[in-house]
Amino acid sequence: MDVRIEEVTTAMLEATELPDGTARVAPDRPFADVVHEHLDRLYGYCVHLCGDLTDAEDLLQDTLVRAMRSFDGLRDPKAARTWLFTIATNCARDRWRARGRALDTVPLEAGDPDDDFSLFTTIAIEDPFPYSDELHLDFLRLFGDEDLHTVFAAMTPVFRAPILLTTIHGFSCKEAAAVLGVPLGTLLSRLHRGRKQLERGLWVYAVRRRLVTVSDET
Amino acid sequence: MIDCREAVRRMWPFLDRSLEPHPTEELETHLETCKRCCGELEFSREVRGMVTTTISPAMPDELRERVERLLATVRDGGQGR
Repeated sequence: MDVRIEEVTTAMLEATELPDGTARVAPDRPFADVVHEHLDRLYGYCVHLCGDLTDAEDLLQDTLVRAMRSFDGLRDPKAARTWLFTIATNCARDRWRARGRALDTVPLEAGDPDDDFSLFTTIAIEDPFPYSDELHLDFLRLFGDEDLHTVFAAMTPVFRAPILLTTIHGFSCKEAAAVLGVPLGTLLSRLHRGRKQLERGLWVYAVRRRLVTVSDET
Repeated sequence: MIDCREAVRRMWPFLDRSLEPHPTEELETHLETCKRCCGELEFSREVRGMVTTTISPAMPDELRERVERLLATVRDGGQGR
């Protein structure tokens, strides 16, 4: 880990100096200020993309190195958040590729097995809390942070990323499409499939952990 | 006129305020006459709310300190290197 920190430091210092050792002309906003503003959310995005804290730290550092090296290319300070998340996504893509996996692989299935699944309807039909006045809300109340992390980590990455960007990090669908480098229509389709996969994941998790009792395990 | 399947498909973009005006109008028209989809929309809102508020891992103090030190180094232009 110390080696990685050294690498980040070197990249940062290289980027603040010209080869002759004199300082570069500072952009309107220093790199450190730009990163600082988005650091917490960037880290959260890395954790969710990786599903693992150690990998997330490495991904964050990869992102900072690459961001520092291309900081001069950031012309519009308002685009900093999209810029940083795009770099993190690209770094994650490279890391996955190096491991023989792909962030953007859409499973080859005949149709979408989750498309017809409705958590709302399933809860209503299975009625896991017969005496509840707030059946659907009581179902959601079963889930703590860790439960939700587990369900999220089990999702297919290509469907998880659009939910992360739009629902958790507040990007518009157009911005999220830009971050992921896909057309808007693709983003919307993946967002829908991600949502369906999340809903099914919540239900399956609750059944398997016996948080709800149902007639027939789905 | 859109059906329930299409209405459900549009709900999260609608809640994200990312749906274009015409598809939004069609969804709202559908909701006027479909009680089931109104329930589904409210439930979608709750699921989104849960995801938004509960999933936000805190950065470990040790990592934050290291990154802060790095950022301070850059801010100082490498002084103290």
